[in-house]
Amino acid sequence: MIPPLFEARGVTKRFGGVVALKDVSFDVRPGEVHALCGENGAGKSTLIKLMSGAYPHGSYEGTMLASGKEVSLRGVADAQRAGVAAIAQELALVPAMSVAENVLLGDLPVRGAMVDWPEVERDAREWLKRLGLEIDIDLPVEALATGQRQLVEIAKALRRRARVLILDEPTAALSETEVEKLFKIIATLRGEGIAVVYVSHRLEEIFQIADRVTVLRDATVVGTRRVADTNRTELIRDMVGRELGELYPRHAPKLGEVRLDVRGLCARAGDERALSDVSFTLRAGEVLGVGGLMGAGRTELFLHLFGAWGRRTAGEVLLNGRPLRADTPGTAIEAGLSLVTEDRRRYGLILDQSVGFNLSLSTLRALTRAGFIDAAEEALRGGSDLSDLRIKTPGLSTPVSALSGGNQQKVLFGRARRSNPTVLLLDEPTKGVDVGAKIEIYELINALTARGLAVILTSSELPELIGVSDRILMMREGRIAGEFSRGTATQERLIAAALGQEIS
Amino acid sequence: MNDSTKRAASRDAAGLSALVIIAAVFAFLSPDFLGARNLSMLAIELSITAILALGMFLVILPGHIDLSAGSGVGLVGAVTAVLITVKGWPAPAAMLVGAIMAFLVWRAMGMVIVTQRMPSFIITLGGLLIFKGLFWLVIRSSTVPVSSGGQMNLLARLTTTYLPPAAGWALAAVAAAVSLGLWARRARLAKKQATAYDAETGFLKAFIGAQIVFLFVITMNGFRGVPLPALLLALCAGAIALLTEHTAFGRRLYAIGGNEEAAHLAGIDVNATVITAYALMGGAVALTGFMQTAYTGASTTTVGDLMELDAVAACVIGGASLKGGRGDARGVLFGALIMAALLNGMTLLAVSPEIKYIARGLVLSLAVWLDARLSRS
Repeated sequence: MIPPLFEARGVTKRFGGVVALKDVSFDVRPGEVHALCGENGAGKSTLIKLMSGAYPHGSYEGTMLASGKEVSLRGVADAQRAGVAAIAQELALVPAMSVAENVLLGDLPVRGAMVDWPEVERDAREWLKRLGLEIDIDLPVEALATGQRQLVEIAKALRRRARVLILDEPTAALSETEVEKLFKIIATLRGEGIAVVYVSHRLEEIFQIADRVTVLRDATVVGTRRVADTNRTELIRDMVGRELGELYPRHAPKLGEVRLDVRGLCARAGDERALSDVSFTLRAGEVLGVGGLMGAGRTELFLHLFGAWGRRTAGEVLLNGRPLRADTPGTAIEAGLSLVTEDRRRYGLILDQSVGFNLSLSTLRALTRAGFIDAAEEALRGGSDLSDLRIKTPGLSTPVSALSGGNQQKVLFGRARRSNPTVLLLDEPTKGVDVGAKIEIYELINALTARGLAVILTSSELPELIGVSDRILMMREGRIAGEFSRGTATQERLIAAALGQEIS
Repeated sequence: MNDSTKRAASRDAAGLSALVIIAAVFAFLSPDFLGARNLSMLAIELSITAILALGMFLVILPGHIDLSAGSGVGLVGAVTAVLITVKGWPAPAAMLVGAIMAFLVWRAMGMVIVTQRMPSFIITLGGLLIFKGLFWLVIRSSTVPVSSGGQMNLLARLTTTYLPPAAGWALAAVAAAVSLGLWARRARLAKKQATAYDAETGFLKAFIGAQIVFLFVITMNGFRGVPLPALLLALCAGAIALLTEHTAFGRRLYAIGGNEEAAHLAGIDVNATVITAYALMGGAVALTGFMQTAYTGASTTTVGDLMELDAVAACVIGGASLKGGRGDARGVLFGALIMAALLNGMTLLAVSPEIKYIARGLVLSLAVWLDARLSRS
């Protein structure tokens, strides 16, 4: 039998007293896509980092084998020589350099003392062609869409003779078409005998492209299964360690009066993408889902309502029947809106600061007594946030960066809830959050709407959008492309609306 | 112990050992260094450096910087001295004009930085040159004494007044009571929140702090008494510590420095907060300008030279990050002590200006290197 291209055998990794991986074995064979999944904190990233040489040999127990031979990786460069390349979530390309330079980065062909530019172009073109990519190699990488950048990164890795590609949440920032393209490329690579380690939260994707799937939970391998022999329910049970009831536990809403009334809204920021003629209403207790492809205007709509994007050119927005004056996020919060932003690390949290600091951030004025922040009051509020939202943290003074993704997201929910909003805007509230925490967030949305809060949310995952929304708006090119009630929304219909196609 | 407290602890240890080494070397080379007379001077010099550094801390916290501070110190001192000595104004009126001017000019600089989205590094670099030019114009590149004919006035008294011994003792008692009171409050709050707080270590720290204050008063009373600038510094440091740690404004500064975009989306008025920080920096520049000019005895072209860099160095040594969002007033005070001790000791040893520049530069670089190293881990 052919030995696996790469194998970790009985690996244990500790950080101080914390065991991040316990006796984990994992292997990838030539021409295989091996999915790796598990909740955040289960040990996926640690395993990836071990395989890609980020933690040097000697900092862990157990053995690593490349094509059956034991290797001791002292760094990322060693791992690359052994044929392992990790395509990280934050890509390692130089934004201002051209595609060609990036593909050959660190290994530019020279003639004498000068870079041999014709050779650079020939070489880069050849590798992009092999992946079936049509990208202008002279463009700077910063001009490319995220999906294309990822493919450039893959080309770069393959050029360095990578035999094992580790893709960490590769579709997190991709549109549907980009995802399809990526999958096509993965299929091609598999045909060439390349092994792919595929890390994803999206179970549908695993069933679409993986051959085997390994589930990690609490630092150990729960099991490795052939994808053909398993199903969604089984995987989720492996991941969370219990049987989940319903994946989308949306309660039947009790609709109240109209909270938000958006009429013929048009807005733009410079020459950027614009919102045109957006109209909808939102009632108390209702969850309105907003879908659409990347760039359809979902985030812009949210940010505009929140006073953080664009100039209004026409239309009006009524909150509780009165015109909403929100030209800054501060005034929007005062008026009764709250926003949980997309990309919590970038737009939501102050990562250097504590959980308590982050919870209080939008309501500092309310905590101020005689000019100073009332520490006792703040601790009281913070304490009830932790228990109400079941935020798992050692305490309010713990740095928020030490929390898992799901708990960080809950901190943002806590902050949004503090200002007693009437309308809550949730932009991708479950992105990068593990299955268990997702369900807790759905339950939280249920609890908030049960108390009469109105919620608008976006999601790139259609099953989620359908599962949690009472009503769905699909956006396309800054316009509303269709409205669907809970009963009439199917994935096919939503996709058709997003793409601007009619279906019967 | 988590990473950030570990980082803070190793920084504290590094800073403390640096201070001990500096003091030991100077004490060895010149027995006068630890004498009451020199320590009294050091206290005044520290006060001047530290007040500017505390102001600088307010603009560094939200991720900005002020390179014009040193020139501003010279300019404010010049305007005030000229109004008093040349125009014959009463000192308090002249100082009020100087302070209002600094407040408004720094506020305007803050407005340009945030509304025009210009890097503060460049705008304040422009300020450095403009203020220096204005400064020299105001004094016609000559020397203007802070008081005419050796008469005493408020400006001159700033750095020549010493508190009577009894007042010193009273202050020390107040400081000790505040220090222990804060400890008790902290311990009570920690108990209420059921958070981990090592009350014994906290008490020890408060106790040592109180002892240092008493030791300071004993030493100062051994010369002429506690100098007035030391009292001003204590007030400023207390105010800045309260402002940054216990007010909404302080929280906003940390939030903006930590993640400006997130702070904005959390409803914080980023522009207004940064403008206020600059306006307060203007106040610190004015106070430093008065003190530094008074300490020199006259407004002359070299007053305030490179003081902005000492202030930045003090912040960085004290644990503030140039990217913003990190540090505290206590650390800045400590950083200022290192810078002031270094300069004072070198002056005492009559070290040549060339070597002084090099030493200051090395300390600044070392501090930034340490900052980069410690924030990477």
